[in-house]
Amino acid sequence: MAKVNSKHKILVVDDESESAILRAVRRRLEEEGWDTPVIQPESGHSVGEEFEAATLWYIEQDLPDAVLLDVRFGEHQDDQFRGLGILGEIVERWPKLPILMFTQYSQGPDRETAVRGSLKWDAQVDFIDKLASPDEVVLRLRRLMGAAPETIPIGNQILVDVTSRLVYVGDHDDQEVVLEIQGMKFEIFRELAVTWYRSPGELVAFGRLERYSEGEDPRASLRVRIREIKDAIGKAMDIRFGPSELIINVRDQGYRLVPPKS
Amino acid sequence: MNKIFTSIKIGGGIVALAGLVLMLLAPLIGKNIFDFLWAVDPLTYLGGVLLIIGLGTVAGTYVGLERTKRNAREGINGHSRAHSWSETTLQYFQLFDHDLGRPLRRIAGKERELRAVMQANPEASDPGVVDLLDEIERQTPNFRLMMSNIQILIQLESPESVEELQPVEPNEVIRRIADRYSPVAAEAGKEITWWSEPSELGLVYANSNAIEHIVTNLVDNAVRFAGTHVEVKLTKNPTHFFVRVWDDGPGIGNQYVQHLFDRGWTPEVVRREEKSSSGLGLFIARSLARQAGGDLTVETDSNLEGDHHTAFLLSLPSNLTNQINGIRTNPSNL
Repeated sequence: MAKVNSKHKILVVDDESESAILRAVRRRLEEEGWDTPVIQPESGHSVGEEFEAATLWYIEQDLPDAVLLDVRFGEHQDDQFRGLGILGEIVERWPKLPILMFTQYSQGPDRETAVRGSLKWDAQVDFIDKLASPDEVVLRLRRLMGAAPETIPIGNQILVDVTSRLVYVGDHDDQEVVLEIQGMKFEIFRELAVTWYRSPGELVAFGRLERYSEGEDPRASLRVRIREIKDAIGKAMDIRFGPSELIINVRDQGYRLVPPKS
Repeated sequence: MNKIFTSIKIGGGIVALAGLVLMLLAPLIGKNIFDFLWAVDPLTYLGGVLLIIGLGTVAGTYVGLERTKRNAREGINGHSRAHSWSETTLQYFQLFDHDLGRPLRRIAGKERELRAVMQANPEASDPGVVDLLDEIERQTPNFRLMMSNIQILIQLESPESVEELQPVEPNEVIRRIADRYSPVAAEAGKEITWWSEPSELGLVYANSNAIEHIVTNLVDNAVRFAGTHVEVKLTKNPTHFFVRVWDDGPGIGNQYVQHLFDRGWTPEVVRREEKSSSGLGLFIARSLARQAGGDLTVETDSNLEGDHHTAFLLSLPSNLTNQINGIRTNPSNL
């Protein structure tokens, strides 16, 4: 679980918030350390209108860090795209509030209509398919919110504390600081960890990491530092990481973090 | 066109009027100007001829104008019929997508709940059940891609194909696709790595849906056929940006390369086996790329003892200079 500056609150607005797929997503968001308040209006004649009023009222009272918003509310014709109306209202009143539209209409003409009609290109709004895996939802929210966590866990055994600039190794109850990873080495490892946190498959090009190298041959210097990081963490974990473990060189283009298998 | 017909019609009317005036004047002044010819003064002949020419011109332009209007009406109606056909098809499709998606969302939701329960209590996990859950999770992206393919196909077939350009960050599009397919690849013991050069590629003007759709098809294929690695690399030059999707799979035989982008073609077609996919993905991907003024090509090596691989290269214009009003008409319609 990544620790963030304060506990993030993701407001869930969906008439099927108790469905299995939403429960799975909410569980994953909570594992991430985020609160997931759910809009549950009292049932009325018009489901969509109730949701719209309740959502705007909630945000007015207690501004969340992001909103997970459905498009379709019930079966009534008027509510088929009610979420797009709610989206427009939120964007107008709180233009900086990140919104992730969680819908089966994640592509196609309706999304385009919404984007053209109510959104500027730089609005903090994204669309994701309801069949997306909970991990995908988390990754998308992380990027929408631009949240830089205080700590990033890499697998079960490694923890990068961004604030205190330290790397810990061990179980939750028994963690030790890897003292060898400091200064430039910490910056290299932090860069790899933050990139992995945002998108696990993304490679960090040599150019970005060579900023933390010195000497006549920054590439060679970087290679040495990467080896030293792997050795230091491996020593603390009592294992030796091979070339295709922890930090891997991909086709001589850059490095990528791979969490150790637990 | 209407203005020309109207001018000719007015001209014809004036000529006919002049003819009529001459015919009316003929009894009064005709005999003073010309000698009678066959008992009628020539001014009457002249007036008659002018009247016939004038009336003929007016009638001709009237018929021409009506025909033009009718052609135009038919054109518009034909177009609107096609337009309404494609809109109706899309609406039906969305209903179908929603109805089909609902049970699948329930299945996926239950699957994820059950998986969470089993993760909390690994000793009680049955390998057969785990296999079933994995299979459901593996098939979910297939379903999403299939639905998306059908939707894009309907849009491609629409006679009113207009490409909308928006500011897009290609990095973000690729990142989403990698995020979606990384868990699927990991389940199969494969890895997806992606990067861009430069690392911040910046904005381009393109159809974000089209890029996402094309690259999703390519990554879906790559994950299916890769040995262990899939790589997605994003680059650019001053006018275009490029996405290269590489996999270390067995490669494609040279004899099949020319058929890869054919509608409905899959490797099973050659072997006369049951098709494992619709064979529409690459066809749609290349059609979309070309519609956007770009292209999709393939480079492959199937030598099992060598560096066997397949790499698809998507090139699309960045539209950084010719971005005027955000809309570009389908080049094939120009």
